[in-house]
Amino acid sequence: MSWKRHHLIPETFGVKRRRKRGPVESDPLRGEPELMQLFPRGLFEDALPPIVLRSQVYSLVPDRTVADRQLKELQEQGEIRIVQLGFDLDAHGIIFTEDYRTRVCDCVLKACDGRPYAGAVQKFLASVLPACGDLSFQQDQMTQTFGFRDSEITHLVNAGVLTVRDAGSWWLAVPGAGRFIKYFVKGRQAVLSMVRKAKYRELLLSELLGRRAPVVVRLGLTYHVHDLIGAQLVDCISTTSGTLLRLPET
Amino acid sequence: MLSGGSDGVIVLYDLENSSRQSYYTCKAVCSIGRDHPDVHRYSVETVQWYPHDTGMFTSSSFDKTLKVWDTNTLQTADVFNFEETVYSHHMSPVSTKHCLVAVGTRGPKVQLCDLKSGSCSHILQGHRQEILAVSWSPRYDYILATASADSRVKLWDVRRASGCLITLDQHNGKKSQAVESANTAHNGKVNGLCFTSDGLHLLTVGTDNRMRLWNSSNGENTLVNYGKVCNNSKKGLKFTVSCGCSSEFVFVPYGSTIAVYTVYSGEQITMLKGHYKTVDCCVFQSNFQELYSGSRDCNILAWVPSLYEPVPDDDETTTKSQLNPAFEDAWSSSDEEG
Repeated sequence: MSWKRHHLIPETFGVKRRRKRGPVESDPLRGEPELMQLFPRGLFEDALPPIVLRSQVYSLVPDRTVADRQLKELQEQGEIRIVQLGFDLDAHGIIFTEDYRTRVCDCVLKACDGRPYAGAVQKFLASVLPACGDLSFQQDQMTQTFGFRDSEITHLVNAGVLTVRDAGSWWLAVPGAGRFIKYFVKGRQAVLSMVRKAKYRELLLSELLGRRAPVVVRLGLTYHVHDLIGAQLVDCISTTSGTLLRLPET
Repeated sequence: MLSGGSDGVIVLYDLENSSRQSYYTCKAVCSIGRDHPDVHRYSVETVQWYPHDTGMFTSSSFDKTLKVWDTNTLQTADVFNFEETVYSHHMSPVSTKHCLVAVGTRGPKVQLCDLKSGSCSHILQGHRQEILAVSWSPRYDYILATASADSRVKLWDVRRASGCLITLDQHNGKKSQAVESANTAHNGKVNGLCFTSDGLHLLTVGTDNRMRLWNSSNGENTLVNYGKVCNNSKKGLKFTVSCGCSSEFVFVPYGSTIAVYTVYSGEQITMLKGHYKTVDCCVFQSNFQELYSGSRDCNILAWVPSLYEPVPDDDETTTKSQLNPAFEDAWSSSDEEG
């Protein structure tokens, strides 16, 4: 039974989670590959790069300010891209730049070979990505600095590389991330409801992880638990029997 | 201390603890009650002493007025009427060159009222929705920060006619003039503003449950992360920063408690529990280093720092007075040392 699971989702298990009592990760760069391994690649048939959320990094690094600043440094060095996931303005996805580039190249260009998108996407990947490390792009930046025409920008939006933010500005996006977001939102609600239905609205972490994941949770319980702790949707209390997750009062 | 209530009443309290007990009640010195002819008709949102002495104070209320009161006679010296309900007002604490009161109302324009001439014709345009908080910088006479329900915080120099200086951007994107329309400081309404006591940093809270620290000279987000700061207020939230501590603290109302964080590192120190209902506002008195908070349970609580007391010796049974040793008399009435 567990062999079959390993076969389907190869890298989900076998990674030791670091809790607050264990050796503390102070460098998110070391914590991220671990979190990336929690991301079930097989689920999306390799079409998506592994996405880690900012809240998951907070659950590994005890000081949030330090985590934010180090992520900002990595973003400026060009190692990671931060992407706005549509469901919550606060939830940012973190992707390694090379992963992003290879996946977008593969899947978008494969899907739209011969269509007018391909040229615009190639130009975007070659010129804009390395130059501008921000989450969002503005109209005059795209037209003047990088020389995109309006029709090319529309192609980029159709290909899924850009999402509209406001009149004249766009967020960077991952094409095909819709499925991931759908699974993520449903999975998050399902794990939260597992805690909510418990007596006194609290659950020991070890017990939560030992339970069978509901069908809705496709990304793995550990992945969601990291996110819930980091986003402060549950309070983490250390007790003599381990970490306890409790829903906050308000 | 001046306090305004949701029934329109304004009360002045004497904060001195002359009873020398550790639990004491501050007496009200005088009040503008419901029987006063000029009392506000609806909830008083903001009250402020005249920055240079206690002879005058200003109060603004949901009845669309800003009233200027003379403290000694408790009469209104002037009334400014507006077209929309007033959420917040502030007068510059350091300025000697102007007597402007910045007023934030339900309309998108920030109005500046001049106390010397009685006019309120100066308007700052730029926001798109109601202005929930305004604050002058404690460092420069003419710099004003405004926070609005359209998620934007703008810094203005009121002498400049063409518009705001900076719109704060939480993502610290590239700066360019055309970009400003998309910059947001928070992902929800921005409820509260507070400058640090030296004026170099600005703290903002928003309904996205975040508090952010900004560098007030270039508008950069310092990325200090305070975690989730619950904020459900539909009006402005008045929070405060300590003054005179070695690492400054920020006191933010958090539901029915007050959360205390260190400003520059983002660490949560403690939650002060004492109120029964939602806390709406708090202020810090730097002379006594005390915090006063007001809540919807009709109470104002004084939070006094607890000092470390020396371990009492067994044979001495002196009655200890709870007065801070700094305020005790240090002279003796005997003539020994001449």
